[in-house]
Amino acid sequence: MIRAILLHPLRFHRDHRFTRTQASAYLDGELGADDRGRIDSHTHMCPPCARFVAGLRRTVSALGQLRNTETPHVRVSDGVLDRLREERHIDGGGAPPPV
Amino acid sequence: MSEQSPPNVEDGALVARARAGDQLAFEELVRLYADRLHAVVRRLVDDPHEAEEVTQEAFLRAWRGIATFKGDSQFFTWLYRIGVNESNRRMSRRRAPAVSLDERLVEPADTRPGPPRRLEQDDLRHAFERAVQRLQPDQRAPLVLRDIEGLSTTQAAAILEVGEAAFKSRLHRARLAVRDAVRDYLPEDSEL
Repeated sequence: MIRAILLHPLRFHRDHRFTRTQASAYLDGELGADDRGRIDSHTHMCPPCARFVAGLRRTVSALGQLRNTETPHVRVSDGVLDRLREERHIDGGGAPPPV
Repeated sequence: MSEQSPPNVEDGALVARARAGDQLAFEELVRLYADRLHAVVRRLVDDPHEAEEVTQEAFLRAWRGIATFKGDSQFFTWLYRIGVNESNRRMSRRRAPAVSLDERLVEPADTRPGPPRRLEQDDLRHAFERAVQRLQPDQRAPLVLRDIEGLSTTQAAAILEVGEAAFKSRLHRARLAVRDAVRDYLPEDSEL
């Protein structure tokens, strides 16, 4: 890393900043090949950025595991259908009224 | 991360029938989307009972407005937008105190002498849940839609009615806030 900073200090800092701001897009596969390669190269020579990207990857992965972990205590659709039928009963049924 | 593929293949016919006043078709849409909309709303309003109310209200509004749905977007995008807007309306009415993003969002790691704390899976999940709960609303919704519910950037940005660049920026800041909040649970990040 020190060698990279000494040889190309401006480029190193630009790539460092780029990695910090584009890490999410990188993880989401939303960067083009050049930008992806730029982050790959930088993280290879910059351990803090490699840890930064790895930490963000773990965070995103863990967030994905939160999905559907809690079952509603009643079927949500039953409550919605009851409300809908109640409203239609009040309105006399039929097509929805104009908004 | 796997992205959700909403069952929108059958939506077109059901939505068309619902627009014509077919109640059974709309009820089928309710069965298709109620649980998933509720899952999103629950994370935006923090209260399970209020989440049910918001979900019901969203479908009622959708039913009342189905005739105006032009089909420019997917039905679920339109429906989720109604749900997110209703959630935001209720949350702003509640006027929850804002929390600084710099604030540490979970208790610090146990530093008392003794054997290292064994990290249970439930602890980690709880830490993440709380970190999400403490996000600012404009960051929480992008993160819930994209990272937890697995929608694509395009879908989630459309639901929130923001451009993709703005969406990505909010999502990135939200992820960083969550990562900072759970840092004590991810010791590999300690030198960041």
